[in-house]
Amino acid sequence: MAFDYQLRETTSSSSKIPEVDFSHCSEMAPYLDEPQAMYVGAPGKHGYLRLGFEIDPRGKCILRDLDRRAPLIVQQALYFDKEMPEMPCVYILSSGGPNVEGDRYQQDIYLKKDAFAFVTTGAATKLAEMTHNYSGLIQNITLDEGSYLEFMPEPVYPCKHTRFISDTTIKVHPTATLFYSEIFMGGRKYYGEGELFEYDILSVCSHAERPDGTPLFREKFIIDPKMQNPRQLGIMGDYDVFANVIVLTPKEDADKIYEATEPFIDRENKLACGITHLPNDSGLLFKVLGMEPGPVKKVVRDFLDKVRRTVKSRPLPEEFPWR
Amino acid sequence: MNITEIMRLLQFTDSTFPVGTFSFSNGLETAGFENIVTDKETLHAFAKSQAVQAAFTDGIAALAAHRAFLSGDYDKIVEADKTLILCKMNDEARQMLKRMGKKLGELAVRLFDSEIAKKWLEDIKNDQTPGTYPVAQGIAFAAAGISEEDLFSSHQYGVVNMVLSAALRCVRVSHYDTQEILYSMSSEVKDLYDRVKVMGVNEMNAFFPELDILASLHEKGNMRMFMN
Repeated sequence: MAFDYQLRETTSSSSKIPEVDFSHCSEMAPYLDEPQAMYVGAPGKHGYLRLGFEIDPRGKCILRDLDRRAPLIVQQALYFDKEMPEMPCVYILSSGGPNVEGDRYQQDIYLKKDAFAFVTTGAATKLAEMTHNYSGLIQNITLDEGSYLEFMPEPVYPCKHTRFISDTTIKVHPTATLFYSEIFMGGRKYYGEGELFEYDILSVCSHAERPDGTPLFREKFIIDPKMQNPRQLGIMGDYDVFANVIVLTPKEDADKIYEATEPFIDRENKLACGITHLPNDSGLLFKVLGMEPGPVKKVVRDFLDKVRRTVKSRPLPEEFPWR
Repeated sequence: MNITEIMRLLQFTDSTFPVGTFSFSNGLETAGFENIVTDKETLHAFAKSQAVQAAFTDGIAALAAHRAFLSGDYDKIVEADKTLILCKMNDEARQMLKRMGKKLGELAVRLFDSEIAKKWLEDIKNDQTPGTYPVAQGIAFAAAGISEEDLFSSHQYGVVNMVLSAALRCVRVSHYDTQEILYSMSSEVKDLYDRVKVMGVNEMNAFFPELDILASLHEKGNMRMFMN
């Protein structure tokens, strides 16, 4: 008997792509003029991705639902995690190179009951130099009962005069776990004479709620170097790289992870991290500062290892040498 | 501003106002221990970061509560209160705001004949609203007839003074140094107010990762002269 429970792919141009618009955000008001080249949201500049993971009738977790619009690309789920070989792993790629002015992307990721997945990007996300408009990203992450998602993209590199805004809505069941990380470079540190904090604006908002709509937390940071020098003590200080990690998980596991994680300031290697509880017993917030992406990413991965051991009783495999 | 309003502004802003500000250092203790804040210059930078961080979170909530009180819109007071707690990422900071907010709420029902103040305190006790200090300030200042601009000044003064008072006990600085810092920072508050006054509660934002890490070290550390 043929087994037809497999990837359901939607790529027809007729299905409607959600609008991605941040013109209501006051911090983007100076950057609403139309690009001189391709208009805002033109084909190829309006990326859309929908990834749906679920357990199939055989009990295997699969990428069941995939919808994509250029320049965002996902080809298929791979099963390359040697410590969790049953876990679908997905690389998000972009065929357009860097995010440029007028780009609008939306990524919807959902995990059905008891599903689990690892989602990352194929390479660092470059945010190009911009003279008109901005690049925007909307993400919706929905985790059903007992599901588990590790979302750990490669670092984001803003260039001189980059304008970027993102809004991530998380809907999480009380029994599900989300590991959500973002690593932001100060800029192209070794480009020319060095280019750090020369972007125009980064505005990043993440907020979570329960399936019934009960709000859990809302974190928004706006980095506008012309308005507020990021080098000020208390902001980035002397550090060049910043990682933000949100872990939403049941309180019992959050308490274990919190106990197992020691914040530190390593003055010799210029690396630091801190952890605290999110509001409403919804999970943990972990922050890392460093000088280069490699060591920062290692601290984030070590933290993911703690989360995975606590929630899934499995370790994180070693990072691939080419990553 | 008449003489009574000035007296009340001084009363609510005084460091001896009984809401417990004296027991918090906002991570300064750890910053001193880690040799990050060591002198007047670094203390000034640290205090500036604290002031700006508070302006775009607590300051927005305080102004929203003040306006809501004056327009009699109780739901907007609760909205400001709940939104502020959702945006406070540090556990000890949430505890501090709630502890001080409840104390000021209790004082407010004694000082003012206000149904809104009474209802808010009742809702805090019944876990219907978090009861944050900036929202309590908004209610109290509005009830006392003090303007929102003066409320913002008092809020900023409170944040900076809390840090500078703690500094006298854990950083090598003198009273002269802290007063010079305070005097200098006062001239920057108008600009902050002009930026904050047009922002709604959904626009609260903060990017101070170095402060967050210091707060975390304090939260999990052994140094306990102050709460965070």
